[in-house]
Amino acid sequence: MQIDPYYVIVTAAMLASIYGLLAIGISIIWSSLGLINMAHGLIFALAGYGAWAAAQYLSAYGPVVLVAGIIAGALVGMLIGVLAFLPLYDKPNYVLRSLIATLAISLLGQQFMLTAFGPRSRPLPPVFGRASFHFGTAVVSAGQLGAIVTSWLVLALIAAWARHSRRGLEIRAMMRNPEGAALVGIGLRSTAMAVMAVTGGLAGLAAVLLSQTYFVSPFSGLTPLLKGMIVALAGGLGSIPGAIIAAVLVGLIEALTAVSIGGQFVLITQFLFIIIVLLIRPRGIAGIIETVRE
Amino acid sequence: MKEVLQVQGLSAGYGPLTVLHRINLTVYSGERVGLIGLNGHGKSTLLRAIAGLTDWQSGSIQLKGREIGGTRSQSAGRNTHRIVRMGLSLMPQGDALFYGLTVVDHLNSGAFTRSTWRERAARRERVLEIFPPLRKLLAAPVGKLSGGERRMVSLGRGLMADASLYLIDEPSLGLAPSISKSLIAVLCQIDLKEGAMLIAEQNLSMLEGKVSRLLGIHAGVLKGGADALSAASLNGFASAAR
Repeated sequence: MQIDPYYVIVTAAMLASIYGLLAIGISIIWSSLGLINMAHGLIFALAGYGAWAAAQYLSAYGPVVLVAGIIAGALVGMLIGVLAFLPLYDKPNYVLRSLIATLAISLLGQQFMLTAFGPRSRPLPPVFGRASFHFGTAVVSAGQLGAIVTSWLVLALIAAWARHSRRGLEIRAMMRNPEGAALVGIGLRSTAMAVMAVTGGLAGLAAVLLSQTYFVSPFSGLTPLLKGMIVALAGGLGSIPGAIIAAVLVGLIEALTAVSIGGQFVLITQFLFIIIVLLIRPRGIAGIIETVRE
Repeated sequence: MKEVLQVQGLSAGYGPLTVLHRINLTVYSGERVGLIGLNGHGKSTLLRAIAGLTDWQSGSIQLKGREIGGTRSQSAGRNTHRIVRMGLSLMPQGDALFYGLTVVDHLNSGAFTRSTWRERAARRERVLEIFPPLRKLLAAPVGKLSGGERRMVSLGRGLMADASLYLIDEPSLGLAPSISKSLIAVLCQIDLKEGAMLIAEQNLSMLEGKVSRLLGIHAGVLKGGADALSAASLNGFASAAR
């Protein structure tokens, strides 16, 4: 069988950008809040509906839909923070309790979406127009190109914000040592809500971008949650560069598997890759790229 | 003299364990107080209780006349950031560094309030004058630093704030004697302005003659109370405890 390298590159870049947006959110939440957010897929799905509702009732203009998705994601993220983090974080056995809490929120949310919006999938209007471009032998739709460019732009912006702003420093400090953070006057609760808002916004962005090719449905968050989670694990939970590298690799593996042996083997090859990474480097890809670690 | 810190009837501990037993302590502005005691006698617990980091506590703690203590039975650290913003700077045992972040990140994180954040460059310069070895290491992640340099980062981060009370927990811990001596000498030269400093230390000779007064802590009870204690009488106490 002939593999078209251009097609593989486009597909891999598209998947990597979506996985990157989700995995970074999961990774940051885990390392700063100590929360394994099983409801990250719910943020994704609800943000998709938020964007759909905005397109339906407000305006189908691209930027409006995009911003509506991001805002909806941020709001759902903060709601999860209010329900699963604030009441639990200083209680015993917090990690397990919050894991169960987010799982419960995720299941309840899915049922809510089924009741409120019905099982029918909803399309989003094209945010980036309907044009298509030629890249080598492959055809790239405006939706795909826009998704790739937007997500890498946003990731770069987030990285710069985390590095240079006061809030970003607070979040990075809290990721490394919550007690040290409290000792320099960083409020855990308010910083946690900021983290949930930012990561929720990223998930909302991912939802709108992916919905350029797929549909919004009550269960559309399930696969992104799973993929985001394994990418975050392979990258090493808590490492942003690790998550980005893992997103690229996992996206590439998915694209290669799909064109060479078939789409039904994608999960198998992805999990094999992650098992191999974690066997060699238990801390994930971050264990390879970070020179110092305590 | 104005009271910076006034502790009355403070008991604190972890779980079922009571570590501090009704402690009274007053620290006045401009003072440098040494707190001498052996391992496990409550030095760190006293400093952590002032910062609201113990599991539970009762009794009154006033920082510049504002109550920061009271009876509290759960959630260690819930109010710590608020107390810190009121003018407390605790440089804890074990340094509580952010591994993976650089030295300059640490210093910046010490300038947490909006006003200090704006003048963080000038404040960093002041800290670098106190700890010149850090100047070359600004871009280095703290994991690459030696123990003495890490302590400097921790102390420097604490000094970046506009604090009126500096609590320093065992600045000499785990360091070579010559390095800890020079660190303590530096700490004793810092201009406190209206503030005060409380240094917990195991080794009496480290602080002798350098601080305004010395207090002993033994089995969770202050020896000497709020009154000044001569180094000579403490000497006997410390050697008896040893």
